Amino acid sequence: MARSIKKGPYVEDKLLRRVERMNQTGERRQIRTSSRRSMILPEFVGHTFLVHNGKAFIAVFVTENMVGHRLGEFSPTRAFRRHGAATDKTVSLK
Amino acid sequence: MPRVLGIEIPGKKRLEYALRYIYGIGPARGRAIVAKAGIDPATKADDLTGEQITQLAAILQQDYRIEGDLRREVSQNIRRLMSVASYRGMRHRRGLPVRGQRTKTNARTRKGPRRTVGAVRGKAARAAAKTGA
Repeated sequence: MARSIKKGPYVEDKLLRRVERMNQTGERRQIRTSSRRSMILPEFVGHTFLVHNGKAFIAVFVTENMVGHRLGEFSPTRAFRRHGAATDKTVSLK
Repeated sequence: MPRVLGIEIPGKKRLEYALRYIYGIGPARGRAIVAKAGIDPATKADDLTGEQITQLAAILQQDYRIEGDLRREVSQNIRRLMSVASYRGMRHRRGLPVRGQRTKTNARTRKGPRRTVGAVRGKAARAAAKTGA
């Protein structure tokens, strides 16, 4: 079920404050965050966020098209590393 | 068979069902359109007067995005997801399910026919597979 419109989009308070402060001062710096659940607002456009994926911080440059998505959608949490080779260990199990 | 909007040729069925042959019209919209046009839903599509057909065409064009336009909108939305490199876009690109379904088994609709992926054996074979891919 979608989120109630009454509540408005969810953004971590701390993150929103930082973006607003940077917009006022015109400062452009990467913002490191773990708040993958925060919705990308129009104010975020042009900023670069370092979004944690559980292991590392992935740089996400926000464009207009990304508004309405959440930061985590752009910081993949899984890496596919092709199907495994038969190592000594797996062979000896048979 | 009558034609609505040039291309759609719904069959010998009650109008509310015949309209569903149009891409973008389902049960709910079929009913809504018939009600709006003030036509008895039990009328067979064949029995429509020319006047009624033009009326339906007008409603369809004004209030609904159907057929080509709708298909274009859908593929544009998918293209947008892919271009911003979102998780959903990546899933579309790889042809895997987009909405969090399991892929250990099933997901054949998205993945297509089964393709067995073998293990890459030995150092030489692994190097070959790397350069090949």
